[in-house]
Amino acid sequence: MTLAAGIGYVLLTLGPSLALFVTVISTKPFLILILLSSTLVWLISLIVLSGFWKVFLPIKTTTWWPYAILILTSVVFQEGLRLVLWKGYKKMEDMLDAFADRVAKPRLYLTDKMQIALAGGLGHGVAHAVFFCLSLLTPSFGPGTFYVDKCSYAPFFLVSAIISLAFVTIHTFSMVIAFNGYAQGNKSDQLIVPAIHLIAGTLTIVNLASSGCIVGIPLLYIVALSTLAYCGKMVWKRLTETQIRLTHQNQ
Amino acid sequence: MDGSILESIGVEIIGVMSPVSICMLLVVLLVYSLTSFSSPSGEPIRTAANLVYLEAPSDSTSQKIEGSLLNALVFVILIAVVTFLLVVLYYYNFTNFLKNYMRFSAFFVLGVMGGSIFLSIVRQFSIPIDAVTFFILLFNFTVVGVLSIFAEGIPIPIVLRQVYMVLLGIIVAAWFTNLPEWTTWTLLVALAVYDLVAVLAPGGPLKILVELASSRDDDLPALVYEARPTVSRNPRRSSLGLLVGGVSSDSVEVEMTRHNAADSRDGDSVEEMDEETSPLVPNMVPNMVPNVRDRMRSGSSTSSEFSVAVGQTEIVEDGEEREERTPLSAMLDMGNEMGRQSGSREVREETTRGIKLGLGDFVFYSVLVGRAAMYDLMTVYACYLAIISGLGCTLILLSVFRQALPALPISIALGIMFYFLTRVLMEPFVVGTSTNLMMF
Repeated sequence: MTLAAGIGYVLLTLGPSLALFVTVISTKPFLILILLSSTLVWLISLIVLSGFWKVFLPIKTTTWWPYAILILTSVVFQEGLRLVLWKGYKKMEDMLDAFADRVAKPRLYLTDKMQIALAGGLGHGVAHAVFFCLSLLTPSFGPGTFYVDKCSYAPFFLVSAIISLAFVTIHTFSMVIAFNGYAQGNKSDQLIVPAIHLIAGTLTIVNLASSGCIVGIPLLYIVALSTLAYCGKMVWKRLTETQIRLTHQNQ
Repeated sequence: MDGSILESIGVEIIGVMSPVSICMLLVVLLVYSLTSFSSPSGEPIRTAANLVYLEAPSDSTSQKIEGSLLNALVFVILIAVVTFLLVVLYYYNFTNFLKNYMRFSAFFVLGVMGGSIFLSIVRQFSIPIDAVTFFILLFNFTVVGVLSIFAEGIPIPIVLRQVYMVLLGIIVAAWFTNLPEWTTWTLLVALAVYDLVAVLAPGGPLKILVELASSRDDDLPALVYEARPTVSRNPRRSSLGLLVGGVSSDSVEVEMTRHNAADSRDGDSVEEMDEETSPLVPNMVPNMVPNVRDRMRSGSSTSSEFSVAVGQTEIVEDGEEREERTPLSAMLDMGNEMGRQSGSREVREETTRGIKLGLGDFVFYSVLVGRAAMYDLMTVYACYLAIISGLGCTLILLSVFRQALPALPISIALGIMFYFLTRVLMEPFVVGTSTNLMMF
């Protein structure tokens, strides 16, 4: 029974990512490599952050502001990292295009670029889920479960799985938005990603309050779903634009 | 071809990474499901890997470090001696002896070590099975395994061969996870260093072995996982060169073509291979074992001749003193005194046969991950990522240097580094934040 519950938590967190992986990523070996390296980058960022915060932990006070600083620094650091990733991606894209020219294959399509961004985002998302949720799940496979005082409506594992799912969604699709924004020089797209990340991070501070998760989690899901919707809208717009341009060229 | 280039890049890398990942995953599952079974109070087993020093939890840290260093030293020396012995035997053309020895060791590993692992699985999950059925199944499993790994003249699907290679890796790695903690770490470091020396230093046993094998157009006398590019109709390009920033940009134009191995016995493809004049690359066509014939071969352009080396180390385990839990497995253990198993480490060969990775790499990657699994899941993920990225680095280096490279050092170094970073730095941080339900 608890084994089933544990597997359930895992699937709740990673189910959508798994579906994305199987349908989009796994057919293209290069995307798997991108996914792995992006996961590694996220892990390294987490290690650096924890090395920085090691001095101050554990936070003894029950006030919220140390946590706010923690989340602020983390988000700033990771958003900075996204810029670095973009630079690296830019170089890689040139290399890929040069390679494609040499072997007389078509250059990267727009969809290819988006898929690379998706793989990168999925890597971040999966890393997040793995380190913040899955790695704590080990006890949930054993007998019994665990409740935290501040959110005693559901087992801790279930709550963290639910929160992680929202973050996986945010990480995955905000990478697509960000890369697209950088590519087009679109300022609003570039700024909305750190904003989303920061808002989502801040919303989890609500969980510190007693039964704050009742409020915090729905708000988090609103953020996640609007990220998804924004990303979908943006991709649709770009795809239709290029379609129109292509048909014009053909005429 | 209309597909995007995303589909064609990195096929070979994934071809190596996926079996390694599967191997690690299964070892972790095995460790997880069996650790509750093996009683912590059980007698520490003495194997070749801890001949000198038996770690006890009560020992002081310096005692542990000292003892584990000695253990590692003795083990590495043992491996080096056995490897040299093998090289000498190979040099004087005792090929038949070597082949039969490897068959025996594979039989032994699958039958006895695998058997006792199956037995503990049966016990752990209370699978209702009687001894006779168990032995018949085990015997069949073992015989098929030995045949498929060293099949000559029998057309055996490459998939089966690969499956058994991974299984061998899992079984040996699962045994190694029984070692005490400090010994495991020093052993891994020592092996990585040994691997580096043996493959790269002039006069290193593995280097000699690879050169010998390539000068004789022979298969390496070692257990090696061959990642064969998946058979498909579309000619795919081997494009690792790209990943290293067009180092080999001049030669990418040549199309990589596939031949049936039968064709490649004709002069034309032999010539094609001869064009690849990397000194180390063995020209394997003439002596290929017959079952290679039905495999797809791919003649490759020079750019794609990244190759993996095949090395050979010997892992010697003295099973005699293993304490077993049941009469049945004690019986199994009687045959254990010859507990030798040849795991092979790194070496490179040419792409025409895909990347090759020594079984020893599988084993020690999995040992590291399995050891990490005894601490926490978080360290498992971190180590997995580190090892895979180390493997990726090695493969990229392979395409640059085009010679046999050791696969252990980078991965093991990264793996150990990430293990301790995760354990010391990350875990308190992540547990602290996420138990407060805070994430970012």
